[in-house]
Amino acid sequence: MLEERIAAYLRAKLTGAEGVAVSDLRRIPGGASRETWAFDARWRQDGEERGQGFVLRRDPDASLLETDRNVEFQVMGAVSGEGIPVPRMFWLENDGAWLDRPFFVMERIDGCETSPTKVLMDPQFFPGRARLAEDFVQILARIHALDWSRAGLATLGVPKDAASCAITQIEAWEAVVDRDALEPQPVLRAAFRWLRRHLPREAQRIVLVHADYRTGNFLCAPDGQIKGILDWELTHLGDPLEDVAWAAIRPWRWLGNELVGGLMERRDYYRRYEAASGLSVDEESVRFWEVLGNVKLAAIFLTGAHSFCDGRTRSPMMAFLSRNNSRLELEIMDLMGV
Amino acid sequence: MRPNALEALRGVQAALMESIVPELSTMYAQDVSQVLQMLIESLAGEWDSAADDLVRDNRRLVELLSQARGALQPLAASNGDIGPLVQQLDETLAAKADDSLRLSSLTARNNALRGALEQVLVRIEDATGRPGTEALTPVRKALYDHLRQVSVRGWSFWDMASFREKMAALRAGGAA
Repeated sequence: MLEERIAAYLRAKLTGAEGVAVSDLRRIPGGASRETWAFDARWRQDGEERGQGFVLRRDPDASLLETDRNVEFQVMGAVSGEGIPVPRMFWLENDGAWLDRPFFVMERIDGCETSPTKVLMDPQFFPGRARLAEDFVQILARIHALDWSRAGLATLGVPKDAASCAITQIEAWEAVVDRDALEPQPVLRAAFRWLRRHLPREAQRIVLVHADYRTGNFLCAPDGQIKGILDWELTHLGDPLEDVAWAAIRPWRWLGNELVGGLMERRDYYRRYEAASGLSVDEESVRFWEVLGNVKLAAIFLTGAHSFCDGRTRSPMMAFLSRNNSRLELEIMDLMGV
Repeated sequence: MRPNALEALRGVQAALMESIVPELSTMYAQDVSQVLQMLIESLAGEWDSAADDLVRDNRRLVELLSQARGALQPLAASNGDIGPLVQQLDETLAAKADDSLRLSSLTARNNALRGALEQVLVRIEDATGRPGTEALTPVRKALYDHLRQVSVRGWSFWDMASFREKMAALRAGGAA
């Protein structure tokens, strides 16, 4: 039983704890790159009864992404003291000795919602929409203002200069398509060529790029407050407009309209971000990053499809998502203007 | 044979919604069931037209690649990459197509043709804007027009409102 094995793990980690008991273990939807489990734990320590809600993120058999759990653990730990809301990180295990596969454990933040369906379509969240939109932009600006060197995040790999941020990302995602495409990908291949011919202005500064900052990747309280930013596994150092554009791509608008993240008009989004970050939003550069964002998402789905077709996973999500690539291709061609 | 595949898929969807989902007690299981619904919807959407789409696509791809070959051939003398590409196009176009209407056969031919199209499109993108490549402009447009027609048939996961409408129509007994 997974519950028992987690309890045994906690007994080893909680020094001086007695009577460790785990309950209400449940798998949480989403987080397709890792299994996500929530549970409660109770124990006695120093004569007191203690309890904590935890989230455990375990490597899957196969994933949408081959990401580095160390990056996610390290970055979330580093940014938590920098005014960026993230769950507190507890432990990282890089081998499968405890739970068959590597995993990490973090704080569970209760009373919040991540599902875009709930956040954008459930009336209980409607009154908090204005605050949510404001938090969304303010926190993004804070991530970009973070002194990544002081936070010990130069280990993520510092781009050789501000002009190289875009080409580094093109090469990274082209390599994913090279590795995982099971069929010809004329639109993606053409897009990579288009991207190389339409490089954006050089980054205004090199910042910590979350790289999956969007509606669906934050913990939202009913009053609209964002209490935690999630899914930091693609984080790297690069161009802030990469995040600005990613949050705005069509798949994360969710409602079938043009609102960025389902939250605000694009002009409003740019204006708020510029005010909060002190950076300017160049629309042609954003277009480049939006094309790359859609290409990146298509590449991620190709990885999932490859895993599914290889039999490394039976997740219906992996099968379903790559079947959406044709609509991503349409969006890519629209953005390319072809 | 009745029920046909589409009718059977609709039955599977209805059974999922009416008999299985109400019994699911965890959010994770409910989420998986929703993904299954969307996956089935995606499969159902292409079932009836899949073979016809591939036959038409393959026919159109042959026309487009022939057009591209004609535009590329004159550039072969001045661009060393073009000659091998033209040769590859000749081989792809000359390959005898299987008469079978099996989806696997049609898809294999489609992949071969799209693979050639991929090579052509990449070369055209590299050449775009260079002097002496004006003849490629209408080819480029025709290739993208075709790719757009193919892409527009797809279905998107991100429009939750439209998915809910589809499911509501199914629950009401209509074809979504």
